[in-house]
Amino acid sequence: MDPNAASQQLFDLWKRQIEEGTQAWARMMAEVPGPGAGAVDPTAFWRPLMDQGVATWSRILGQAPASPDLMAQWKQFLDQWIEAWSKALGQAMGTEAFAQALGSYLDRWLLSQGPAKKASEQSAEAMLQALGLPSRSQVTSVARQLVELDERLERLEDGIAALRRGRDGKESQ
Amino acid sequence: MGQERFADVVERFTQGYQVPAPAPEVRQRWGEEIERAQRRMANFARLMLDPVEPKTGPTARQEVFRKNKSRLYRYESPRTHRTPLLFVPNLGISRPYIFDLLPGGSFVEYMTAQGFDFYLLDWGVFGPEDNGLTVEDCVTRILPRMAAKVLESSGAAGLSVLGYCMGGPLAASFVATFPEVPVQNFINMAGPIDFAKAGLFALWLDKRFFNVDRFVDVIGAVPADMVRAGFKLLKPTMDLSTSLNLWWNLWNDTYVEGFTALNKWANEYVAFPAEFFRHWVGDFYQQNKLVRGELRMGGRRVDLSRITCPVFVIGAREDYIAPPACVKAFLDVVGSRDKEYAELPGGHISLIAGRGAATHCWPKVSSWLARRS
Repeated sequence: MDPNAASQQLFDLWKRQIEEGTQAWARMMAEVPGPGAGAVDPTAFWRPLMDQGVATWSRILGQAPASPDLMAQWKQFLDQWIEAWSKALGQAMGTEAFAQALGSYLDRWLLSQGPAKKASEQSAEAMLQALGLPSRSQVTSVARQLVELDERLERLEDGIAALRRGRDGKESQ
Repeated sequence: MGQERFADVVERFTQGYQVPAPAPEVRQRWGEEIERAQRRMANFARLMLDPVEPKTGPTARQEVFRKNKSRLYRYESPRTHRTPLLFVPNLGISRPYIFDLLPGGSFVEYMTAQGFDFYLLDWGVFGPEDNGLTVEDCVTRILPRMAAKVLESSGAAGLSVLGYCMGGPLAASFVATFPEVPVQNFINMAGPIDFAKAGLFALWLDKRFFNVDRFVDVIGAVPADMVRAGFKLLKPTMDLSTSLNLWWNLWNDTYVEGFTALNKWANEYVAFPAEFFRHWVGDFYQQNKLVRGELRMGGRRVDLSRITCPVFVIGAREDYIAPPACVKAFLDVVGSRDKEYAELPGGHISLIAGRGAATHCWPKVSSWLARRS
């Protein structure tokens, strides 16, 4: 039997199975109320990928005996697969529905994080105070004062430089 | 094929597949492939068991000035061009050694070899004591001082400014707010200007979905891990394709060396100071004040039309952090008559770092600037 015909048959079957699966998925997605214009179209996403994949694999397995190009073709296939997923995820994450979900998740996280952070900071502060060690806020406060001092020194330097420029200007006149 | 069983088809396929003896050329290529596989394994073992810390930043430099966490570096070069170049990268997110990553793969090295007097502003890594730092502080207090130091140390009458990524809008705001500073040329490389076109970040940070005030009030400074999570979410498949490409090129020692350095950089995220983040997201992303001319800094309106020096804008075709449209918008708002736009292949990082950048981007920047320096 011609190996090419056999491989073609195998891939026809595989392709049909995937297509049927995709259609089922599309039907399922259509039943779910989507976020509107931004809804993902799984058929549009899968079809080019499937066609490319099938063509690549038909070509690969049509070669007899197996060539080292098999590795490169496998890599190419994986690259395409990753790219297709990247596109699909990009589509999904580019919708307002996703942005809204992300925002809500973050809000919930902040609601729980806020009090927890405050409590842990207070307990750490109390513990360090009991041990007679400087707390984080005290160290931060000292560092902030240094930054402010640095700023003031710079302003003084600027003032002196301006005075010098003025004096030099007068002298040259 | 009708209702045939899948297993029958597979069996027929395998039986019908008769393997003739491979040609000598195919045998030789299989031999090469096996050799590569062995080298892959050796490099993999080396990466796992004896990882070597990559040496980044090969170009010699000296610190010219420091202000709080920020540093101004001047790189060694023949300095054949009169006008010094101040490079302003992003604040937070990542460290600037990506611009001088490895010998032969460094933007700084290339520009200095072309004779530019190259200055790099390293914003530094800010701590909780810097949570009060705002975008306005950067534009009205840090950048003017850095520009003055560039002029002072170079002895030049004017300077060129190159803003990359977030450094683009920051530097543009600075140049527009201080027209008295003698900026002779301005380059905006992958710097977002019209934030309405800033892709996924613009959508996710939209004020309908993201309350920046609540966020900053609760967590303060945006920690490095959270910055990492945000950027990973932009391209969730990035790690997968990076790993796949590493495996594929693992036999190649040069690739592995480059990967190790790049990987070190790519995993070294930097936190945002709290107020800076509030100002950046609120004014730039959510209200798009820069391009609308509504931004005020140091008591002055930031009017981009006051930028009248020659302007070069560079966007990257596959940039999903600062898509080309939001970068290109700069041309519509500046007052310059000598202005040019180039859209180059690559993404946000590969625009300026890596082999592609050495071919497409660096020579373009250098030749545009050389004619005007």
